[in-house]
Amino acid sequence: MRREPSLFARLARRISVVLGIGAALLVTAAWYYAETAANKAYDRLLVGAALQMSESLAVEDGILTVRLPTSAFELLGLAERDRIFYRVINTHGETLTGYDDLESPVPLDRIEDVSNAEEGFYKGEPVRIASAKRVLADPAVSGEAFVIVAQTNEARSALTRELTLRATILVLVMSLLAFVGAMLAIRYALQPVEHLGTAVRRRDPHDLTPVTVDVPRELDPFVGSINHFMGRLNERVDLLQRFIADAAHQIRTPLTALSAQIDLLGGDKLDKAGRQHYERVQERAGELARLTNQLLSHAMVIHRADSVQLEPISLVDVARRAYRAAIPITVDPDIVISFEAPDERPFVLGDAVSLREAIVNVIDNALRHGAKHRLEVRVRANDAEAFVEVEDDGPGIPPEGWERATQRFATSKSHEGSSGLGFAIALEVAKAHGGTLSFRARDERGFTVILALPLLKGGTS
Amino acid sequence: MRILLVEDTRDVGEAICKRFEATGHAVDWETNGRDAAEIIDFTDYALVILDVMLPGMNGFEILKHIRKSGNAVPVLVLTARSEIDDRVGALDLGADDYLVKPFDFRELEARARVLMRRRTGGEATNLIKCGDIAVDRAARSVHVGKREVQLKRRELTLLEVLVARPGRVFSKDELLDQIFGFDEAANANAIELYIGRLRKKLEGAKARIVTVRGLGYQLVSDDAP
Repeated sequence: MRREPSLFARLARRISVVLGIGAALLVTAAWYYAETAANKAYDRLLVGAALQMSESLAVEDGILTVRLPTSAFELLGLAERDRIFYRVINTHGETLTGYDDLESPVPLDRIEDVSNAEEGFYKGEPVRIASAKRVLADPAVSGEAFVIVAQTNEARSALTRELTLRATILVLVMSLLAFVGAMLAIRYALQPVEHLGTAVRRRDPHDLTPVTVDVPRELDPFVGSINHFMGRLNERVDLLQRFIADAAHQIRTPLTALSAQIDLLGGDKLDKAGRQHYERVQERAGELARLTNQLLSHAMVIHRADSVQLEPISLVDVARRAYRAAIPITVDPDIVISFEAPDERPFVLGDAVSLREAIVNVIDNALRHGAKHRLEVRVRANDAEAFVEVEDDGPGIPPEGWERATQRFATSKSHEGSSGLGFAIALEVAKAHGGTLSFRARDERGFTVILALPLLKGGTS
Repeated sequence: MRILLVEDTRDVGEAICKRFEATGHAVDWETNGRDAAEIIDFTDYALVILDVMLPGMNGFEILKHIRKSGNAVPVLVLTARSEIDDRVGALDLGADDYLVKPFDFRELEARARVLMRRRTGGEATNLIKCGDIAVDRAARSVHVGKREVQLKRRELTLLEVLVARPGRVFSKDELLDQIFGFDEAANANAIELYIGRLRKKLEGAKARIVTVRGLGYQLVSDDAP
């Protein structure tokens, strides 16, 4: 899948294009103005020189003479590297002095007194050419004489270049500042998007309540959509949970009937092979019953996690009730089962029903998969937490299997079959109470499952 | 003993009836809630096993009816309702015990036995102590120090006998009579088995069961001089 470029990249790209075009336009304009200014400055000199030269035309002894004024060349000489060409045309249209082939770009008959400097070429070189007209009214020489002065473009080009270069530097610096400023502004403006992203990312996957992050108005529709989606997802999940609960509930009645029939069948009248099958059917029916109960319990625990108000409860009382509920009267008499509670009664903020369900499941798991001769349920507390520990002398779960054990329907090698939902239920409840479900590796005494819950301050009595 | 079963699922009702009848109880089986409520009013039962979901009148209503009329008959509720609150609700309404469907029939039988015995049994409310072993005869619970230890019925009876008179030596025959009664066939080996289990379960206590060779057993407190 092609990834859409980031908003930042998009904005950055467009802004740099705009800034680039703007800078190009400005530089072009600067170049144009620089050239005009340079031309204006040098043209004045050129025209001045042409005028001066035409002023210097004089009729001496009936002959048109020209005494080129040094001041005119001094003026033009300010542009050191430029060459100057001139041509003086007498009244007959003949070259009096200067370069014969220098032509005025403006036809001579259109020149009035003095022409403005114009672009032109001389000997293949671009030049500026100015012309001046002198009307002679001497009886000997009458008519119009012309002075054409041309100057190469070196100096004005240099000036244009310099002016343009400075302007360009200014434009670039400004553009760069504008770009950096714009990037900072974009980053700042996009921050709420990132905040929102982080807030959504940090959410617990089970948390389907609406997102409540303060966002700029522009993001409201986005947050609205997320929340709308969350709402629908929540409804779906609710529906699914309810469906699971209903289904499990529906399964119960026929399942009870099934185990009733199995019980009626009675294994006693069967031969050895028949009894084996009978026992397996009985075992499987029991497994099915347990799984059904766990499904129901799991759905209930999740449902209660976000619908039930937590209240201060005595963990010892809850654990003791769970202990009584979890241990069947028909339990193997050779297992030593005990319950130990501290003298002080630790209180936690919790949902008694969910907590009992969690503890019942942990004890049930220990009974089914762990305990050989001993099962101990303990409640204890330290300064910050209260613990329910279930210890048995079974093989336990090796540390590498701990994470898997809390997953739904995870199987482990040391256990026969699946531990089902027991630990998943306990973990769900622990999380809903801000606590943890952990394991203590098997030592000489046994393997321990620990449900830790934050202690309610000042709650002990 | 006479048991009333109120259950509308035929398969389940049948199995429960068979099981209790096999152990010598008389079972009246009702499938309609309203009928059951009437029968309870003028029949004396040792135990009522009550399903919650019933036609006519549900189990909770029947339970309320029983307790309102001052009838203290032990009630065991069978529930299939999905809300776990039901279990709590059943106990609050005065049920003595509950089982969630689907249940183990042996467990049902065991619990029913406990309930019926509780009724016929002694009203002993006293707490007997020896060393750090405490036996609460009312709650039928045993504490070793702070630890509450789960004992089976016969183990508890045996401990009750021993703890009632610490230091006294009980012969095997004496214990046999006390624990099994006269009508149950059991031999001296059974006593050894129970003594063994009890010792294991009381491990770490400040009192011990001592074997007096040729005579029997006695409970001796470590605190005793």
